[in-house]
Amino acid sequence: MTPVLELRGIDKSFGPVQVLHDVDFSVHPGEVTALVGDNGAGKSTLVKCIGGIHAVDSGEYLFDGKNVHINSPRDAAELGIEIVYQDLALCDNLDIVQNMFLGREHRRGIVLDEDTMEEMAARTLESLSVRTVKSIRQHVSSLSGGQRQTVAIAKAVLWNSKVVILDEPTAALGVAQTAQVLELVRRLADQGLAVVLISHNMNDVFAVSDRIAALYLGRMAAQVRTSDGTHAQVVELITSGRSGDLGLTNGVSA
Amino acid sequence: MRAGPSQEEIRRHNLGALLRHVHLGGPTSRAELTSRMGLNRSTIMALTADLTAAGLVREELPRETGRAGRPSLVVRPESARVYVFAFDVGVDRLVAARVGLGGAILDRRETVRRRGPFSLEEIVGPLAGFARQMRRKTRPDTVCVGVAAAFSGGVDRGNGVVRFGPNMGPAEDVPFAEEMTRRLAFGMPVKVGNDANLAALAEHSRGVGVGCRDLIYLHGDVGVGGGIIVNGQLLGGHAGFGGEIGHMVVNPKGRLCGCGSLGCLEAEVGERTLLEAAGRVPGVPRGASRTGTGRDSGGSQGPDRMPGVSRGAGENPETPLGTVSVTADLGVDGFETAGPGADGRHERLIGRDAVRAVVDAADRGDIVAQAALSRVGDWLGLGVANLVNIFNPEMVIFGGMLREVYLGSAAQVRSRLAVDALAASREGLRLRTSALGDDATLMGAAELAFAQVLADPLEALARAGS
Repeated sequence: MTPVLELRGIDKSFGPVQVLHDVDFSVHPGEVTALVGDNGAGKSTLVKCIGGIHAVDSGEYLFDGKNVHINSPRDAAELGIEIVYQDLALCDNLDIVQNMFLGREHRRGIVLDEDTMEEMAARTLESLSVRTVKSIRQHVSSLSGGQRQTVAIAKAVLWNSKVVILDEPTAALGVAQTAQVLELVRRLADQGLAVVLISHNMNDVFAVSDRIAALYLGRMAAQVRTSDGTHAQVVELITSGRSGDLGLTNGVSA
Repeated sequence: MRAGPSQEEIRRHNLGALLRHVHLGGPTSRAELTSRMGLNRSTIMALTADLTAAGLVREELPRETGRAGRPSLVVRPESARVYVFAFDVGVDRLVAARVGLGGAILDRRETVRRRGPFSLEEIVGPLAGFARQMRRKTRPDTVCVGVAAAFSGGVDRGNGVVRFGPNMGPAEDVPFAEEMTRRLAFGMPVKVGNDANLAALAEHSRGVGVGCRDLIYLHGDVGVGGGIIVNGQLLGGHAGFGGEIGHMVVNPKGRLCGCGSLGCLEAEVGERTLLEAAGRVPGVPRGASRTGTGRDSGGSQGPDRMPGVSRGAGENPETPLGTVSVTADLGVDGFETAGPGADGRHERLIGRDAVRAVVDAADRGDIVAQAALSRVGDWLGLGVANLVNIFNPEMVIFGGMLREVYLGSAAQVRSRLAVDALAASREGLRLRTSALGDDATLMGAAELAFAQVLADPLEALARAGS
């Protein structure tokens, strides 16, 4: 299976500080790829490069096997890449439908096409088997943490996206809500999307991922299939960049 | 030599097949049914006409198709009219529901079952009462086409006698089906199945396992039950007791199981073991205890969630938990209890709530809870690895309280699998949590109750209506 998104040899520096060194990263449709790494390993920078917020210094960016150039978040969104950040970027004073269409409202003539938007929002939530929300006209301020996360994810899925990147979606959630969000993440992939999950929680990573990509000090230590990896291995990759035959040799990708 | 099936048999089979499509797939257009069932358009029309006349389905114009041309009529199940009664007998709860054709729960009643000595009357009484209450509320044009129950115990396929149920506590064989039938007096026999077996079928037909031909469902109640589906069929065994995954011995020198042997999977990963390891069994003094449900101990998201530090404990299932619990005394200041006598609220929790509280505590950095979960996850992974090596399933589903346990110990479970399962067998394996959640067993019972009407719709309906 060809990856839907593939990065090859990505370098990125901020002034004198090189944050990403020769990073390879691939994301496959129908799979959850967990992106793990210690604080400062470069996870967020990598994601921002994918999302077009940072331009890469060098390296190849392939989407559906074709070389593309991403210069802005809009370019990434047009390809079908959506990122759900930790702060979720939802507006508390707007309802669910308004949030999902924020900045991309449907219009009929000069007025907003509320009916169509409502129906699309409802259908998206339905397709994700989200049944915890009472009304889609509820203000976001009245939702629980898990429900907010759900709305933010549904917003990302609404636009026929192909790649959805989730930054710590279960941080700050209770057990019941974490379970719901994890199941939602799994469902997204089972419906054919490529999902990237950033998480520090190894149980979350092992519960839903198909592959694990471990960053270590700005280098990709290894990308392993979750079914072949063990907890101890992944922790070693995160903390020291190598584990047995896997990982970096003298700080350079093997 | 037997002749081929008669016209009548073929028609009966096709009626059942069409009804099953609509029952499991929801409203479906005639055009779709034609292509899915591989039958002629006029055949489909005749079949739907028969089912419509019998009042099992209804045909409607679709709201919008988005395509040009005359829209194909949509066939919907008569959910409000045709229903079954489904019962779920769990260790801690009794549920009765009225489930409409198509799988919609129309009405439900639930009560808590107290753990204690087994009494058939205490189960049959409330369930029969609920069913009668719900039946009184139905409209006169509705029809009940079946009654079935899921029971947390081994059920004899032939006569519905419960032969064992270590966690429910019957000392001898219990004629559950017979007694339910007598008490309900609905004029139809009550079918009974093992709860995990039925849940496996429900997940297979309308849950996360749709389209999977080989799957294994693990159900955690107090113990661990299982349902194994091989090539689309439930593995029942000789008398229907097959699939008792919970009594697979994984640790011959391990803990005593309710069934009498040592080290059954159920004994190593069951609720009691988890709670004991986490120091949360009522009445048992603990080396370390924290009050509350942990929700107010906030602010522990950061370092506690660092991999390798908190989750690394208990790689070895034999980790002496006592040594770990000492360090847990360093817990959040101000939330310590005065002692075992003044224990907090979760001391009295049992069942799902107690398991959830352990996962919650582990997530918030409680080292004892983390060690308990990772120990249980290790054994669970070992059990699943054995199953994967034997059955090579496409999917393993964790249901009941094992949903929480799996999500809270997935790193351990999958590490075990990576080490102990054969690479070729685990390659295409998908690990999933139940899609039907707490209703999996109940929906399984409903499917069992619908089996008759799906096998022979007109005959079953005629019998139910008489």
